Amino acid sequence: MTNSIDHLDSTRRHFLAKLAIGSAPAALAWCTQMAARAEPVKPDLGIRSFDLKARKPLSTPKASAMISMFMQGGPSQVDLFDPKPELNRRHLQDFPGKIKYDDAAGASSRILGSPWKFTQHGESGTPLSELLPGLSEVVDDILVIRSMHTGVNNHGQSIHAMNSGRTQQGRPSLGSWLTYGLGAQTQDLPAYVAMTDPKGLPVEGVLNWSNGWLPSLFQGTVVRPVEPRILNLQPPETLQGKRQESFLGLLRDLNRNHKSTRNRELELDARIANLELAARMQTAAREALDIAQETAATHEMYGLNNPVTEEFGARCLIARRLVERGVRFVQLYTKNQYWDHHSSIISSLPNSCNKVDVPAAALVKDLKQRGMLDTTVVHWGGEMGRLPVIQNDDGIDRFGRDHNTYGFSMWVAGGGFKAGATYGATDEFGHHAVENIVNHFDYHRTLLHLFGLDAESLTYKLNGREQSLLDGQPGEIVHDLLS
Amino acid sequence: MRTLVIILLATQFCSADELSFETDVRPILKAHCFHCHGEDGEPKGELDLRLRKLIVKGGESGPAIDLADPRSSLILARIESGEMPPEDKNLSNVEIEIMRRWVANGAKTAGAEPESITDDYFTKSEQSFWAFQPISRPPIPSITGSHAASAIDNFIRARLNEQQLTLSPTATKIVMIRRLYFDLLGLPPTPEAVDAFVNDDSPTAYDQLVDRLLASPRYGERWGRHWLDVAGYADSEGYVDSDPVRQWAFRYRDYVIKSLNQDLPFDDFVIEQLAGDELIPAPYENLSNDELHLLSATGFLRMAPDGTAAGGIDQEVAKNETIADTINIVTTSLMGMTVGCARCHNHRYDPISQKDYYRLRAVFAPALDWKSWLVPNLRRISLYTPEDVAKRNELEAKAKAAEANRQTVIDKHIARTLYEELFKIEESIREALKTAFETATADRTQEQIDLLAKHPNIQNISSGSLYLYSRKRATRADELLTIASLLESTRIKHLQAELIAKLPEDEKPVADAALATKPDDRTEEQVSFLDNHPELLVTNETLSKTDPETAAKVAEIRAAADVCRKTDSKKEMDDLQKIVDDIREEIPVEEFVRALTEPANHTPETFLFRRGDHRSPGETAIPPGDLSVLGITSPVEIPSNDPAIQTTGRRLNYARHLTSDSHPLLARVMVNRIWYHHFGNGFVNTTGDFGFLGERPSHPQLLDWLSREFIESGWQIKRLHKLIVTSETYKQQSVRNGQLDEVDPDNRLFARQSIRRIESEVLRDAVLSATGKVSGKMFGEPVPVMEDAVGQIVLGEEDLDGERKPRAAGSLGEEEYRRSIYVQVRRSRPLGVLETFDIATVAPNCTKRATSNVAPQSLLLMNSDFMVKYSGEFAQRLVSEFPDDLNAQLTRAWRIAFSEVPTNALVDSLLQFHREQVDVIRKDEPELNDSESHERVLAIICQAILGSNQFIYID
Repeated sequence: MTNSIDHLDSTRRHFLAKLAIGSAPAALAWCTQMAARAEPVKPDLGIRSFDLKARKPLSTPKASAMISMFMQGGPSQVDLFDPKPELNRRHLQDFPGKIKYDDAAGASSRILGSPWKFTQHGESGTPLSELLPGLSEVVDDILVIRSMHTGVNNHGQSIHAMNSGRTQQGRPSLGSWLTYGLGAQTQDLPAYVAMTDPKGLPVEGVLNWSNGWLPSLFQGTVVRPVEPRILNLQPPETLQGKRQESFLGLLRDLNRNHKSTRNRELELDARIANLELAARMQTAAREALDIAQETAATHEMYGLNNPVTEEFGARCLIARRLVERGVRFVQLYTKNQYWDHHSSIISSLPNSCNKVDVPAAALVKDLKQRGMLDTTVVHWGGEMGRLPVIQNDDGIDRFGRDHNTYGFSMWVAGGGFKAGATYGATDEFGHHAVENIVNHFDYHRTLLHLFGLDAESLTYKLNGREQSLLDGQPGEIVHDLLS
Repeated sequence: MRTLVIILLATQFCSADELSFETDVRPILKAHCFHCHGEDGEPKGELDLRLRKLIVKGGESGPAIDLADPRSSLILARIESGEMPPEDKNLSNVEIEIMRRWVANGAKTAGAEPESITDDYFTKSEQSFWAFQPISRPPIPSITGSHAASAIDNFIRARLNEQQLTLSPTATKIVMIRRLYFDLLGLPPTPEAVDAFVNDDSPTAYDQLVDRLLASPRYGERWGRHWLDVAGYADSEGYVDSDPVRQWAFRYRDYVIKSLNQDLPFDDFVIEQLAGDELIPAPYENLSNDELHLLSATGFLRMAPDGTAAGGIDQEVAKNETIADTINIVTTSLMGMTVGCARCHNHRYDPISQKDYYRLRAVFAPALDWKSWLVPNLRRISLYTPEDVAKRNELEAKAKAAEANRQTVIDKHIARTLYEELFKIEESIREALKTAFETATADRTQEQIDLLAKHPNIQNISSGSLYLYSRKRATRADELLTIASLLESTRIKHLQAELIAKLPEDEKPVADAALATKPDDRTEEQVSFLDNHPELLVTNETLSKTDPETAAKVAEIRAAADVCRKTDSKKEMDDLQKIVDDIREEIPVEEFVRALTEPANHTPETFLFRRGDHRSPGETAIPPGDLSVLGITSPVEIPSNDPAIQTTGRRLNYARHLTSDSHPLLARVMVNRIWYHHFGNGFVNTTGDFGFLGERPSHPQLLDWLSREFIESGWQIKRLHKLIVTSETYKQQSVRNGQLDEVDPDNRLFARQSIRRIESEVLRDAVLSATGKVSGKMFGEPVPVMEDAVGQIVLGEEDLDGERKPRAAGSLGEEEYRRSIYVQVRRSRPLGVLETFDIATVAPNCTKRATSNVAPQSLLLMNSDFMVKYSGEFAQRLVSEFPDDLNAQLTRAWRIAFSEVPTNALVDSLLQFHREQVDVIRKDEPELNDSESHERVLAIICQAILGSNQFIYID
């Protein structure tokens, strides 16, 4: 609430016509100011402005940035991270117990043992599937959580649980909360970046990086697979290359001409300066996306010389460059249902792994060698895992696995997470998480804790109620996940 | 003097002699202390701070003021140490200093204090606050040597004279026409309109132009948008994440545009919005156009966010929030008072008691009754005629029959699918499984449940999953054929083995060998052997004779496979659904009006909610009324139930009270708002807050004179516009100068006009206008907005697949070029280009737009699809108007965008830019022909023009 003195002050501030960088409305929403409700003396009537300036968290943070690789569709935990010998022992026998299927017509109750071998790796001895040779090289830097649980058996709802805290649509995503709570260390680049696959959007489309009801300043900005990579922040097709420089030159001339007969009009000066600022931001974005600046060794490490890994590797590398330059949160998505292996898992799961395994591991290696891993959370995982039984019981080539959100695996690294360990367990069939269950809300509370935030007290007032990421769900900090 | 700000600040530090409790100290204590020390139940520490004598009396710790030794007064100790107010809400240094000086000077009051204190107690100084005083009719100052055309100029000049200032020279005709067009219509003038005005030397040219613009239908679209800001107009409900669309809100938008275009007197405009329903008899059926118009007007009271139709929220909270937001909208828009602050406790700054808040709430209670609430869809008023109803009933019956037919088909498919799937099951349990499936879920035994769980392909057959089975019909048919063939070949082998067993021992190997050999490869002996034993050649054909039962079974499975392969149950279901849908398609579309109405003689009691909590209502009912502090100037009581009409008449009487010539706020607030939109400064720049925290008027006498003039001339808005825009004050140039900036940098004295950035809607409309395609289509359903593939909000019909991924966007046609007031206002989806340049807030309304200057605006002008697209269309327009004449194209572009003719030097520099860039493009893109590369460059020039300051600022 302003008192009367502050109020007069703001009039003077207006006169100074200062340049604001962050507190601003935007089409690309990462720089938007929205009016919201002010507290508490003058409820519902005031204007509060928001910005993306770096803010100090509640407590000393371990993590300052995050890169999340969202494996949309649901990677099979029992074939990648969570070895279950019992499945192989009972291969093709009936599953003893109840199972909830998504696809009735293809459902069967026969158990499918994993066709892939697990081997223990590193000093930690964490077992990983033979499908993840890249990851096995950094196994001592990652923490495999084998007891994830969202409990809603379809993609959309479970994606929302993992990405925005609740199963329903319309709430702010994780990156929105982090940038709302912490801002970003750069004002020249978007605070929150979403990187989509060239082959298409994940399920739930743009809701994945939605700001929900938070000010649209906190929406994820998409780095697209084609030029202009960032809409509005990169020149349009008509102004590529030198053409934009000429365009800006003309615009400057027009503005100078206009200003010449309007002396002392500070707002016009501010707007001219604003144009220069915008041009600088554009340069910063171009520079951040330019992976040609990286060494040949880095290119090799991220798999940029291999057509299979090139695309995902480039995105991982850009993610690192963004975080290096002060971006708070980057999320990479695989294409629509890339990991949704309902059928032919024997051929399709290896394909999926081949694309991301080496780049994802490279990201961990690279962050570590640059000393960034300690403060950067890396996340790899989807919205669900797979069932222990066969889907499409007509020949091994066609075998698949149906949805399972009752117990699945993902891995995290850096930013204060424990390294070289596994946490939690599913039952002997890998169906239900039974030991040290980590619900999405536990994960979120733990994650925000690493950033020095409390997921329950980081709130935004909406409709007279303080809204939080947890939204009243009983999320706890899982201390055993922390280093 | 540096700024007016400093003058105002200085009044805070007037000499200590003049400090009084009422004027200086009480406002501080009211803001920070009264809540605990006086207003809310038992005072904390038994200390009541609401009167000077109570402070002296003190509380548990003794007297709060020590007049003998002022410096050691308890109250000072507590506030200086920061102990009070508790937590982090310390008083500012200025406030503490005022307290110190007041105590030191004997803690004086301005007058006698009352014996006791009530909730509605206001001090004389509060009651005499400027905004609550009757609107006066001050004499027009006489100005020596004045050639001023209007009273406005005399008031303005009188004030300027005090600072030894004068009005600035009149602006050029081009500046004036441009300013008028943008102010009154929100669009740039066409070059033709500029020429006509510039070349018209008659003394009435300006007045005639003003009349023409005020008569334009574009006027209502421009000023309607200003009104929609304060009304909090939205095409969606808000409140919940899903932000459901409000399909019929647009009738209220249309009402506003029509009313302004017709110059409906403002008092009627207010009465209709607050009580249009009370002006017509219920029931609201077979409405005439006038009645529909009046009901649409009440949409004003339906603009607040409304989550009451949503699940998973506290309904009681949602209802009360909607009521509270409605009160906020009404009071900030019409009264310029932040009455909403008094919902939970007395207003901290203004003389508005919590009881006052509930008096106002009682005015709306019969229509907004949280105890008998209708959700949005149930309170809409249908525009269906009796014929429409009959037609719907007839078609609905047909649709139901078609649905029943579809269900029969579905049941058949379920039975068929079960029949097919059962063949895959071991024969011994088939019957049991079938019975289990066909037993109603609730009646199944544990055994049946377990059996089904083991066979999910049977268990999960349902109308909802049929499509999955249908999708796999080819594979499933193959499976059935495999089963049939296996059964057949097994049986044949078995029969042959039986026959061979009956042969003499020496013939057995001969028979085995003969049968194991393919017919074409058999030796002569083998052939003749088999000729002698034809019964051994069991085939598919002969099986029916030897084992008719198996043969029949095989045939049955094959037939089933055939049916399975051919039957696309999904398509059949879809086709039948289409029949149902087609019938329903014929039902006449039912349209509605979103209105506020109340049941006959419904007089619910209103209670004060302690701390604003609806779960803690007070005990005595509060009657309807206006703010009690206004009792000094106008009556406050509103009758509880007006016997003259079916409804209670509370809103109607309140509206009449507001629009009576004695209410001090309504006219001032509206006049100030109109002035603000013409100058970029109001007399009061806090256009929605005329209270203590708001500004004091810069020109109180002019504000009153205009308000009186407005009332007495019949509340005619267009007349008020004309009064303002024909004044010399309005017609001044906007150029700054050093002397003026020294005294009045913010132009609060109006010694010049102000340069103003055009608002977001005006920017979009002006860009569309440059393309020559801006649509004149008025009214009706809004132009839809949607999220594009990266989450930007753009125009378009949302078309998502099942996984929420956008399908290809269709063209909107002319709709795309409609003015921004017709763009859907979805609270959660502000159109990108509008939001970037400051859109009206809708939580719940917007009494003043922000004007920001931030990088994303520049980025949008530089890089957005919006700018690229319409700059391209601007260029196309120029080429089609002046083919092959670049000079003419550039001149035309300049005139369309800036209303002025470019100098030769400017045209030359644009020509040079064009030449250079065409060369660049020829090199970059040799595949382009001359006219293509020419148009590319022209589009770039157009974009620079549309993105330049000259385009987005008005002088």
